[in-house]
Amino acid sequence: MNRISRHPMRRILAAGIVLVVLVGLFVARLIDIQVVRASALNEQAEEVRSTDPITVYGARGDIVDRNGTVLADSVMRYDVALSPKNAKKSKITRDEPDPADPKKTKQVEVPLEQTAAELGAIVGLTGDQVLGIIASELADDPDSDFAYVAKLVDVDTYEKVRELDIPWVVQYPHPSRSYPNGAVAGNLLGFVSNEGEAQAGVELGQDECLAGEDGEVTFIPSLQDWVEIPGTEVVHKQAKDGGTLQLTIDSDLQWEVQRIAEAQRLAVGAQWATVTVMEAKTGKLLAVADVPTVDPNDPGGTDKEDRGSRTFTAPFEPGSTFKAVTAASLEDAGLANPLSQVIAPYSYDAPNGANFRDSFYHEDTPYTLTGALIDSSNTATAKFGEQMSDQARFEYMQKFGFGKVSEVGFPGEESGDLHGGPDGWDNQTKYATMFGQGLTTTAVQIASAYQAIANDGVRMPVQLVEGCTDAEGNTTAPDVKGTRVISEKASRETTEMLENVYTQGWLAPQWNIPGYRVAAKTGTAQVADGNGGYLTGYLVSVSGYAPADDPEFVVSVSIMDPVKMNSSAASAPVFQQVMSQVLKKYRTTPSGAAAPDLPATW
Amino acid sequence: MSALPAQSAPSPIRRRAWIPDILRPAPDRAARPKPRLAYAIIAVGGVVAIALAQLMLSIAVTQGAYEIDGYELSQAKLSRQQQTLAEDLDRVQSPQYLAQNAEALGMVPNTNPVFLRLSDGAVLGQPAAAGGGVAASAALVPNALISGVPLVTEQSAGETAPVGGQGAGLGEPVADPVAPAPPPVSDSLPTPTTH
Repeated sequence: MNRISRHPMRRILAAGIVLVVLVGLFVARLIDIQVVRASALNEQAEEVRSTDPITVYGARGDIVDRNGTVLADSVMRYDVALSPKNAKKSKITRDEPDPADPKKTKQVEVPLEQTAAELGAIVGLTGDQVLGIIASELADDPDSDFAYVAKLVDVDTYEKVRELDIPWVVQYPHPSRSYPNGAVAGNLLGFVSNEGEAQAGVELGQDECLAGEDGEVTFIPSLQDWVEIPGTEVVHKQAKDGGTLQLTIDSDLQWEVQRIAEAQRLAVGAQWATVTVMEAKTGKLLAVADVPTVDPNDPGGTDKEDRGSRTFTAPFEPGSTFKAVTAASLEDAGLANPLSQVIAPYSYDAPNGANFRDSFYHEDTPYTLTGALIDSSNTATAKFGEQMSDQARFEYMQKFGFGKVSEVGFPGEESGDLHGGPDGWDNQTKYATMFGQGLTTTAVQIASAYQAIANDGVRMPVQLVEGCTDAEGNTTAPDVKGTRVISEKASRETTEMLENVYTQGWLAPQWNIPGYRVAAKTGTAQVADGNGGYLTGYLVSVSGYAPADDPEFVVSVSIMDPVKMNSSAASAPVFQQVMSQVLKKYRTTPSGAAAPDLPATW
Repeated sequence: MSALPAQSAPSPIRRRAWIPDILRPAPDRAARPKPRLAYAIIAVGGVVAIALAQLMLSIAVTQGAYEIDGYELSQAKLSRQQQTLAEDLDRVQSPQYLAQNAEALGMVPNTNPVFLRLSDGAVLGQPAAAGGGVAASAALVPNALISGVPLVTEQSAGETAPVGGQGAGLGEPVADPVAPAPPPVSDSLPTPTTH
């Protein structure tokens, strides 16, 4: 050969260039697909994947009591649905034992009526009702492919329907809520709607803590067996479980208190009653009973007004239990002590023109402050109270927590009404607020005020929620810092006066708890009728704490309109039983010495 | 001047040979060694082995997918069973159910705290008989979950039915079958037989 290429390097170079160009083309194409058009191509691929997004349910968190007893948890229920057009069209065949030869089976066609009857029997309908559902759906829309047969059936029913193996019946999971203890703490827990939306109570108030988030996945399944092809699952949204909410409530005590309260409510024919049990040293609520109580498993079974918690949402004029607050304020300001003296008439005409009288007739009596509380004398309290300015009394009320929503933040909680202070008080109200009329409070505010008196004058924030533990295990708990309302000396002296109310008052035999020193005050308040006057029924209440030498528990009872026993004698047995139960349950050491006797008159 | 290495010894007869301008070594047409069969086999065999391994892995993964599916189905079934049992347990643990069973046995609630100190047998508090005739507490604090659930203690209440009824039915005075003779007291306290 003559013509040998004179430049073999050029050949190599040419080959190299061709190679580089080819590779460059491939790389460019690669970048185009992987980087530039990636998202568009991904979207196209998504559409081709053969499953719709499948919901991965995030469970709603549990609500537990202070000991871990579950008060509310999430369960899976099922909705049974059928396809009316397929029901009409398809024939079901089953293997049934051959009547001629019992050992063999033969295919028997099952008529629609029988299938409907079998399905209905499981979910609680008759066969005709099921056929009626099919017929009415087809009448509206001959191509109807979906109709509910039963909603929220439990797992047993689900399994039985599955065993029937009807091709045109489909069951959908429906996360739901179950309350194992029924109406225990029902007023506090609240309830959820069928769709899982919280509607009342702690379920609503702490929904942020409890709610889970549903996730979404898609995957490519095999055609015949519907088995997930490995590596094809794509998580579009991560499911998140809700957190566990721990309450300060003790469910055993709550049940007992609800039982006692309801029994007494029925016995005296009252409209409603509330009992609040609070730890004196920490402000934590051990039991809050509002009877009649809703059973969250069946909210429709209770009247609408009874489905909430009146302890937080129903303000009322507290009446004579408020006299303890007035006495404590006077003590703290140094204006009175248990032995201070006044002469109290039956009917008092105040210097500013107000007029009021005591609940029982008496001659002009020389009362000490202790006696004013024992006999619950409005006039004596007024004569003591007018030694303090209205503004000072108002400020003490605010320090005790009245006039503002408590730290619990219950849904729908009311703040009560102090009418904006002495500027908003008329002459009658200026005196009425000394003995608990002319202002409104909620039951939890009264309990909290007594807690401040019991706890050496330090008011702890009222606490219903112990903490919220989210799915990762992080716990958030509310702040617990107390504020000093009155001095220790004032607290001690007020406690001694209240102990004398307990031992010397007219209810002493009814609320006696042997072995313990108890401090308590009764109240019989008139209820405003909304038109400036008062109703005939009363709101009778008792508030107190024990053991008085080192208070541990505050119990506050209010009963509305006990028609069969229209005095504080209606609430005294509830106080006695509840306080005994609380002291017994927590093994409180009985008090050593007896209460010191203070004179009622001088 | 020339690329030719000046290695050759000068020939005795100095004849000017024609030396071309550019001298190149003659292309070495040495015979290339025949390619070894072993390398080919290894190369092709390697490719085949990789393909085979990939196939096997793919089969194993698919098999695993079926197993996973089977396990997932059984896990779903078991968790449904667990939920049913947990709900049953919740029902039976609820205080309303316990109270109903206790009241079927004739017990009444008692709020009078009395303590018995075991060290010396002292009784702290004032014991008093619990008042009977207390309203059934089941109605006071309802629980929709236990409606229709049979009580555990109802059967024993049936067994210990009043003797009068049984005796009258049988028509002859029968020795009281409900109260057995007290067991003989030995050194230790007699303990009741419990299930």
